[in-house]
Amino acid sequence: MANLQNIRRRIRSVKSIQKITNAMDMIARSRFNAARDTLLSNIPYVSKTREIIKRIMSQMNASEASSPFVMTRQELIDAQSRTDGKFLFLVIAADKGLAGAYSSNVIKEAHETIEYDGTSPSVSAADEDSENFHQKIFDALKNAGVDGEQLSAQKGFAKAGRRGSKTTANLSVAKEYNDADYIEGIELITVGRKATSHFKQRGYNIIKSYSGISERPSYHYAKEIADLIVERFLSGEIIDVTMIYTRFNSAISCTPDDVTLLPLITDDYAASDAVKEEYIYEPDVVSVLNDFLPRRIATRIYGAMLHGAASELSSRMNAMSNATDNAQELVGKLNLYYNKVRQAGITNEINEIVGGANALE
Amino acid sequence: MATIRLEVVSPDRGSVLSKDIDMLIVRSTAGELGILPRHARLLTELLPYPIRIKEGASESLVAVGGGFMEVTPEQITILADSAELPEMIDVDRAQAARKRAEDRINAHKSSGKESLIDIHRAEAALARAKARLLVKNIPVN
Repeated sequence: MANLQNIRRRIRSVKSIQKITNAMDMIARSRFNAARDTLLSNIPYVSKTREIIKRIMSQMNASEASSPFVMTRQELIDAQSRTDGKFLFLVIAADKGLAGAYSSNVIKEAHETIEYDGTSPSVSAADEDSENFHQKIFDALKNAGVDGEQLSAQKGFAKAGRRGSKTTANLSVAKEYNDADYIEGIELITVGRKATSHFKQRGYNIIKSYSGISERPSYHYAKEIADLIVERFLSGEIIDVTMIYTRFNSAISCTPDDVTLLPLITDDYAASDAVKEEYIYEPDVVSVLNDFLPRRIATRIYGAMLHGAASELSSRMNAMSNATDNAQELVGKLNLYYNKVRQAGITNEINEIVGGANALE
Repeated sequence: MATIRLEVVSPDRGSVLSKDIDMLIVRSTAGELGILPRHARLLTELLPYPIRIKEGASESLVAVGGGFMEVTPEQITILADSAELPEMIDVDRAQAARKRAEDRINAHKSSGKESLIDIHRAEAALARAKARLLVKNIPVN
């Protein structure tokens, strides 16, 4: 029979865990309110920036695109057939755990995007508003690269694929764990300890990682990341830059999202029905775009970090309040059990006494 | 008379201003610009300076701390690094910021010990502080 002492001890430990989860819930809740306010006041700025980019890009005459960040798909293919490009990804996740599936969802999405090899059907169905052009770029390059020289990134995929089929091992597992060929074509920037350790374990080339900033992002870091991305991109070694973060929809709904930051492919924006009206650039197109486009990247990264922070805290809030509820339920069950055992003990004792009294007669 | 929509947004305050106006005067990196309704499409960088908004006979000021402006025939969008309506501005704080920036610049001129980046930052801060004071109708020179 269960020991009363043991049950009491268990109840006490569940209760103290409940106290902790409850405290974490409240901390997350107050931080979440702050994070949501910052996010909400940032959203209009980011959406206006997006609108402007959309308008400029749809009006942009491809031939006059004299900024290194803007090109047509054909130009991209031409440039890449000469050099051997890599893909750069920015993954924004959490520093700390205990936030439900927050980090693992982002990382899952990151793997889907990073491992996209043109074979699996488009995972995130192409909705009109999506800014994930990585798959399009990849497909275009793949189609163009059939006759010519292949990219290291794609060669890696091909090798990984062959090895996978030979050993009949799961292809995605082969790719995920330390497949040097495939990883060669990837560079990563990670924000958040969880993302860093996840990708480091799997042997990815992390060129820069940030920790300790996921909950309270500051523009300063976004600028730093943007500068690094621009620098890498301008070196000519990078084909495209895609950011994977968690979009905060509401306190109970956060979805992972991908945004391709660079390059801006005019084909993707060209709306067929738009009237072409060229922009005037003051003082001139090169200097305005070279100031504006890097700034846009920092803006987008900062926005994504704010989305990430709000998502992380709301996930933690949900996880912790669930944990508190579960602990409450467990305490209730244990109490019931405890009382049953106690009752059984008393009944037993009475039986013994009655039995003893009867025996004396 | 036709009007043009003005939207001013900043990263930390969200939408600061959103209304239909008659004319907007800004100071861009290429000089002063006046924007009337049905202006051609334009994209330019703004300097830290008050923007002047004309509606009918009245004129109002908004302090903009640099940023970008996009003009379409129907709408002007200003992506400001910071933007404040006159009632949001704390004059004492702006004065203090101005003094701090001026001291730093003077220290640099006399001793040259501050780094160049710090001076650029101080100059930008000074321009922002001046823009704020101008919006409050306080002469800055």
